[in-house]
Parts: sequence; structure tokens; C-alpha cells
Amino acid sequence: MKRKLCLFVALFLCAYGAYAQFEVGISGGYNRNYLHTSTGYRAFTKYEDLGGFVVGIPIQYHFNDWFAIEADPSYIQKNYEQSRDHFFEGIYQKNTNSYIQLPLMAHFSFGGSKLRGFFNAGGYAAYWMSGRIKGAMANVFDDGPEIPDNEQVYDYLQFNQAYKYDEKYTFDSRRDRRIELGLLAGAGIEYRLQQKYRFFVEARYYYGLSDQQKNYMINQIPRYNDTYVLQAGCMFNIRNIFHGSSAE
Amino acid sequence: MKHLNVYIIALIAVCVSASCRKDLPEINDPANTISGNFSEVFDSYWNGMNNNYVFWDIDTTDWDRVYKQYKPLFAKLNLNDSTDVRKGYTYFKEMTAGLVDSHYDLTFKDAWLADSFSINPAYQRKVASPDYHDPISIFHFYNDVPRGYLDAGAVRGFTNVGTTAQYVAVSGTINQDILYFFFSGFNLKTLYNTDTANGVKTVEQYFFDKLKNTANIKGVIIDVRGNGGGDLADLNFLLGRMIDKQLDFGYTRSKQGNGRLDYSPWAPAFVTPQAGARNITAPIVMLADAWSVSMAEMTTMAVKSLPNGHFVGERTWGANGPLTSNIYYNGGQFSTDYINLVYTSSLMLKYRDGKIYEGVGFPPDVEVKYDAASLETGRDKQLEAAIGLIR
Repeated sequence: MKRKLCLFVALFLCAYGAYAQFEVGISGGYNRNYLHTSTGYRAFTKYEDLGGFVVGIPIQYHFNDWFAIEADPSYIQKNYEQSRDHFFEGIYQKNTNSYIQLPLMAHFSFGGSKLRGFFNAGGYAAYWMSGRIKGAMANVFDDGPEIPDNEQVYDYLQFNQAYKYDEKYTFDSRRDRRIELGLLAGAGIEYRLQQKYRFFVEARYYYGLSDQQKNYMINQIPRYNDTYVLQAGCMFNIRNIFHGSSAE
Repeated sequence: MKHLNVYIIALIAVCVSASCRKDLPEINDPANTISGNFSEVFDSYWNGMNNNYVFWDIDTTDWDRVYKQYKPLFAKLNLNDSTDVRKGYTYFKEMTAGLVDSHYDLTFKDAWLADSFSINPAYQRKVASPDYHDPISIFHFYNDVPRGYLDAGAVRGFTNVGTTAQYVAVSGTINQDILYFFFSGFNLKTLYNTDTANGVKTVEQYFFDKLKNTANIKGVIIDVRGNGGGDLADLNFLLGRMIDKQLDFGYTRSKQGNGRLDYSPWAPAFVTPQAGARNITAPIVMLADAWSVSMAEMTTMAVKSLPNGHFVGERTWGANGPLTSNIYYNGGQFSTDYINLVYTSSLMLKYRDGKIYEGVGFPPDVEVKYDAASLETGRDKQLEAAIGLIR
């Protein structure tokens, strides 16, 4: 079965390699995700951005030397943290959210034959595959050691000790919207090497338009992902790899 | 940049699409609202519930329907008209009638409602149920039980706290080897640690001494019938003296955001053994009834989780969620400018079997129904069943 699959992929790549405009690559990078939402009037509570990573397989179809369309099927984390501070210092939850994402974009490039700049603009669809929550919360049943009458208290976890957890996030189908749609914009530079490879670095911004929650309550506070990505990668010109370099 | 027009079109398309996000609603602290009219009264209460009530996960009340139905009704009322204020009270009663939280209680600041009962949906349901009975008289525990069932030397006492709270406790032995301990409310640790002598402290000391020093304990009966609950710290203070390792009996979770379904993970609920504890391996029997509420239920659940734990009596009240101030767990009870207190649980409790008994009560493993006629003659069939279980 595996051999058949490898053969199919090789034939597929060769077939597409017949088109000079077609490029496929790999990319990866670091991101920071910000949850655009509000804690309302919750005391000493805030949302913070967290880092994650992204890996993708960008595919470009070039119409001419300055315009291409690009799809970038990828795995991306969109993480964030909710934490409390001051008297509630130590209470937090880190949400690690894994998405399979398909960005589709217009790719505009400009500059010389080797070193070029580019812009990307488009949209994306993502599926929230899984999540993990790690944190600490006060456990009402876990009394701390007795606090002497003449002693000050510095944090709530002295009263109710922390319950630390690291577990799989359980989706609630009444609330969680697992499909995310949004916009993206990116800019970067690329360097062409031997007509076969283009190395690039790109800063990209994903702007979520889908609330992470379904519309399940009146006065619902929406949650949107804002994801800033810094990634690098390499595009391969399939035709030039399999059929040798072609003159421009 | 010879293709500038294409870039500009793309940029405009991005900007137009970006405006598709919903605005973040302004959510205000219900305590900081002004009750100038009934619309404000409704909004502050409804939103307070929307964001703070911890049972939306299991509650069957459609809170959005409540909004759509009652917002226009409240808008028609005049806060300065006593008839309308009464009507508003009725609306509050209707809106909350199905809430599963059996701690739930609404009290108002409005002087025109000073003579009205607080709104307590669980109590209303209890009164309307065919099995309803009044609580067993405190005099049964104070007089009949020592006289009819306890050995000579039993102790009893009561302590008044403030002008409204009275705590009653009774302890003794049955046939010298079964320990019996009744108390009307959970304030044991506080009363025990007071510098001054008090009736309940004397009874506690008697029970703790017997627990520690009785050579061959055949069983322990903890009687929380009619016990309205109280201080969570008493769980360790009392049961922590009878175990030598952590006793897990369930899980709790709190709100973690403003959404109705934003919850923390489930944290374990357990009893921690206390210094100098004696591991009781003899049967420990909880006596509880339909008037055993909150901490009385949690204590029953904890004992039932022991391999030697039993529960005799009736299904309990059904108010299992611990309570504390809103700020600690970002949810639960709150006030508004009009409502003195929305008394509601801060956390949801799930028993170790995975079931949530909020609103339905915790069931006994040996059911003995309330028997008014027997109690009238001083006979206590529930207590007799507990004794029978130990023997």
C-alpha cells in the first residue's frame, strides 16, 4: 500500500512538474496568538498571548512573474493564556489549540530575478482539531496549612491550595465552533537559487472572522484569534528538479 | 509598483472583510448598576445570572427565552408603584422557578417587599412535592434521642451566634460501643476553636474524646437530619479525624469566563486526614433526610465514599455546590442595586460516580422514610435502621 502511495505521489509531482509555473515547498515558523475578547468585569483576570508553531506545505501557481495564487495547507497552533494576578497570582490556564488550516491567497511579487519581495493577501479556513489545557486553579476542598491570626495572607492559594492540571480539552458542541474562517496578509522576501529553489522568509498575520463560540447565548462575548506568524521556507520548482533547469 | 491598482483593490477587500467581526458587548458588574427603573433592574439581574450562575450546563431553564419574555414585561412596570413592584416580584418568582441550584435564594432591597418571603425555587418545589414533610423537630434530637436511645452520660448543648443563629449538638453512646453525634449546623470548627466555653464545643469535645479513646468502636452514627449546612472547613475538621489517608469523593468546577458554558476543569473534592486522626474501620453511618442541605449532603457523600460508609434515611435536599464570595471563583452569588443578594453556588459538585445530584438530592443506600406518627411517640425508625445496620 505504501509503495503504491509513493508511486502515485511521484507521478503526481512529475505530472504537475510539466507546468513551469507550479511550485511546492515546505515552511515552518513561530507564531504568537492573541485572543481578541474581553474579561468583562472579572476581577484580576486577563487574557494573554502565547507562542506556538506552524508547519505548512505551500503550493504556488504562477500566472506570470509577479502574480501567483498560493495555497498553504498547514498545521498551526493558536494558543492563549487566561491568568489572574495580584491576590490571585498563580491561577492560570494555558490553552494549546491545534488547527489544520488552509490559507488561500494572492501572491504578488516584485524586484529582481534573484532577490524579490512579495505580498500575500487572502483568506483561510481552519478546523480546530484538538486542544490541551494546562494550569492551576484554587481547589475549594484543599485547605492550606492553618494561617496564624497575626500573619498576613499574600495570595488566595494560601486559603485554597492549587489544583494543577494538564489535560486534553473537551469540546462542548453547544458552545465550541471548530471551523474558523478569516483573512490573512503577509509580506516577505525570497531568494532564488539555481532556478530550482526559492528560499523565503515571511511575516504573516491571520485575522479570525469566526467567533470561537457558536451563537448560544444573548450578550455573548465573542472570541477571535489574531495570529502573527514569522516563518521561513523553501519552494521547489518541480519541473526544474525533475527535468533540469530551464532558461528564463 | 506598476500593478498598484491591483494592490489597492486587494487592500480594500481586506478592510471590508475585516469589519465582519462582532463588537464586544459591554458587560458591567451587576453590583454597579443603578435601579432607576425596572428595565435597569431586569438587565442587571438577568446579566448577572447570565455570567455568574454556575449551573447553566445542566439547568433546563432557557435563559434567552426568559430575556425575550420578561424584558418587555419589566419595561412596562413602574418602580415607584407598589402594585408594579409586587408584579415584578411575581415575575422574578416565575423566571427562577425552574433553576436547578437548590441553594438559590433571592432577597430584595425594595422596602415594598420587606414583608415578602425570599424567592427560593427549591423550597417551592419541595413544598409542592407529594413527599413533602416538615423538618424533624429539634426537640426530638435534643430530648427524645438521648432519652430513648443513648446511654447514660450523653451530652447535649446549644450555642447562639448573633441574634439569629442557634447551633444544637447531642452526643452519646449506644450500648457503649456505638458513637452517636448529632449537630444542627456546620460551624463545628469555629465553635470548637473559640476561647470561651459553649454548649456545642462541650458536645464536640465529648464526641472527639470518645472517638479517640473508645477501645472497640462498633460503629459511628453521624446524624445530619435537618442540618442546613454551613462551613466547608468542618469536612476536614470532622471526618478528617476518622481517616488515615485522603478520601476522594467527587469533583468541583467553577466558572472560568463570562460565557454560560465557560468552566474550569474538574478539580478533585476530598477530605484530608487531620493530625492525630484515628482510622475508623467500623461502619460509619450517615443519617440524613430531605432537610439535610449543602455541607450535610457533602459530608454524607464523603462518608458514603468510604468502604465502611453507609447512608440511612431519605434522599437529601439537593444543594451540593459549595458557596463563597464571587471574587474567588469568578462566579456565583452577586448583588445588584435592587437585589440584596442572589444567593447561589460558586461551584458545581459532581459525585465520584460521575453524577451531579444538584436539584435531585443524594439517595440513601438504606431508605427509611420520615414517619411522623412514630416520631410523635419518640420512636425514631431511621436511627433504629442505622443501629441495625451496625449490629
